[in-house]
Amino acid sequence: MNTAPHLGEAQATAPHLGLVDAATLTLVLVIATALAFDFTNGFHDTGNAMATSIATGALKPKVAVALSAVLNLVGAFLSVEVALTITNAVVNLQDESGAPKAELLADGGQALLLIILAGLVGGIVWNLFTWLYGLPSSSSHALLGGLVGSTMAGLGFGGVKWTGDGTKLDGVVGKILLPAVISPVIALLVAAVGTWLIFRITRSVSERYQQHGFRVGQVGSASLVSLAHGTNDAQKTMGVMTLALIAAGRWTDTEAVPFWVKLSAATAIALGTWLGGWRIIRTLGKGLIEISPAQGMAAESSSAAVILSSSHLGFALSTTHVATGSILGSGVGRRAPVRWNVAGRMVAAWAITLPSAGLVGALMWFVGNSIGGAMGAVVIFAILVALSTWMWMRSRRAPIGAHNVNDAWEGTPSSSPSSTRSRDSVH
Amino acid sequence: MHNVIFALDGAMRVLVVGLLFGAGLPAVFALGVRALAHGDGGGTESNPEAPHLLGKVLALAYGDGSGTDVNPQAPHLLGKVLAYLAFAVVVGGVLLGLTVIVASGLGKELTFDGGVPTFVDE
Repeated sequence: MNTAPHLGEAQATAPHLGLVDAATLTLVLVIATALAFDFTNGFHDTGNAMATSIATGALKPKVAVALSAVLNLVGAFLSVEVALTITNAVVNLQDESGAPKAELLADGGQALLLIILAGLVGGIVWNLFTWLYGLPSSSSHALLGGLVGSTMAGLGFGGVKWTGDGTKLDGVVGKILLPAVISPVIALLVAAVGTWLIFRITRSVSERYQQHGFRVGQVGSASLVSLAHGTNDAQKTMGVMTLALIAAGRWTDTEAVPFWVKLSAATAIALGTWLGGWRIIRTLGKGLIEISPAQGMAAESSSAAVILSSSHLGFALSTTHVATGSILGSGVGRRAPVRWNVAGRMVAAWAITLPSAGLVGALMWFVGNSIGGAMGAVVIFAILVALSTWMWMRSRRAPIGAHNVNDAWEGTPSSSPSSTRSRDSVH
Repeated sequence: MHNVIFALDGAMRVLVVGLLFGAGLPAVFALGVRALAHGDGGGTESNPEAPHLLGKVLALAYGDGSGTDVNPQAPHLLGKVLAYLAFAVVVGGVLLGLTVIVASGLGKELTFDGGVPTFVDE
């Protein structure tokens, strides 16, 4: 803990920054970064609900992302409950009520704000990186991973809750590692059984009736997944933003979220969803299996049922892991060929999500802390903008959008930029 | 270790509920699609394979291919009724899902004490 001298610097540098004081500037950057994370959360997860409907042609790509965006917006507003204690699952920044720990609140909450900012940057950078490679990975795990990293850097090993106190499923192990291993398997089993039943029941039914019926069922079940996503994920950003406001002394109520926080977070996740993470939609819809409407319905029903029942039973699952497991299961249940190499790449990405986002979060904290104060926050934010711009420009070399999201998997511009790497050396 | 126990316990429950709603409801929906095809008449293709038990039951219900119906191409009222019954069950399941979403958003929990869905504070 060598933050104290730098916090002093923060105050000293404040006058040089002009119109706003250091704490306010840091807070503004944290809020902007939280909304940016929420936006990446939206487009990173569009495919979880809509990839199968897009791949089977049940919905036109742009209609699908618009429908998902609206449902995410509605879902975000449905969540009246306050997810202020979201970080409590993995780090020791807040007490039981959600109020920040007193020792982190000196100098306008600079210490806590820097940890939150660095963690958010870790989450965004990992989300963009996996999006660039078309890999669905959990946005929630990226956020919590980033926070684990920045907390470890800021408060040391003891700042992180690794296993909880033994009374419930808790900590990094209980809330992240175990569910990440178990949830895809559950979803796979449910979708496989559902697919097997559907094909067994309808094998004598003509194609015409199947196509229409299952497309309707597929869109309905995918809509449920979108709605559930809006309710769960937008809440997390709202919780982090409110935590930052409390740390900066701009909000005191731990039972409520300011309305503008709710409005802006709901809008950010909906806009992100509407943008459509086409690279990830493509991998999920076309990369794993060749999907039929019946399989799509089985997969989305499995996702909806597993996500809803797990949140009901207090077993925190990642929508991404569930959706991927479900799609794989709908291939297994039909004994259809599955591209296990693509699935393997996804699993590898899941396995390194927590440490990778954590590493970026920790690095950002060290950078911000060694510069100190509001200027440290400004530099971290600038690094985020630079990295994001760089990754976006890389993505333009092999763009994937509504026009080519459903192209045959082989023989198209690869969703992996690795194929363009050889060209890099030419430039 | 306690986390592993809790996780496996939670996973088993999610698996059971997931199978019931995530695989069961699509199967009911598929029954509806099949019944509707039969109900409209001509929705099915002849299936020369020996029907499995479920097929036999459905065949009896719809009078299809079992020799009990003289005109398998004619619309069957029973098929349509069964189809809409199946779709109604699925819609009920979807409404239950929506209720869970809205309830958790409001900080409530849906319980099934005595089989009656009730809201309680979480």
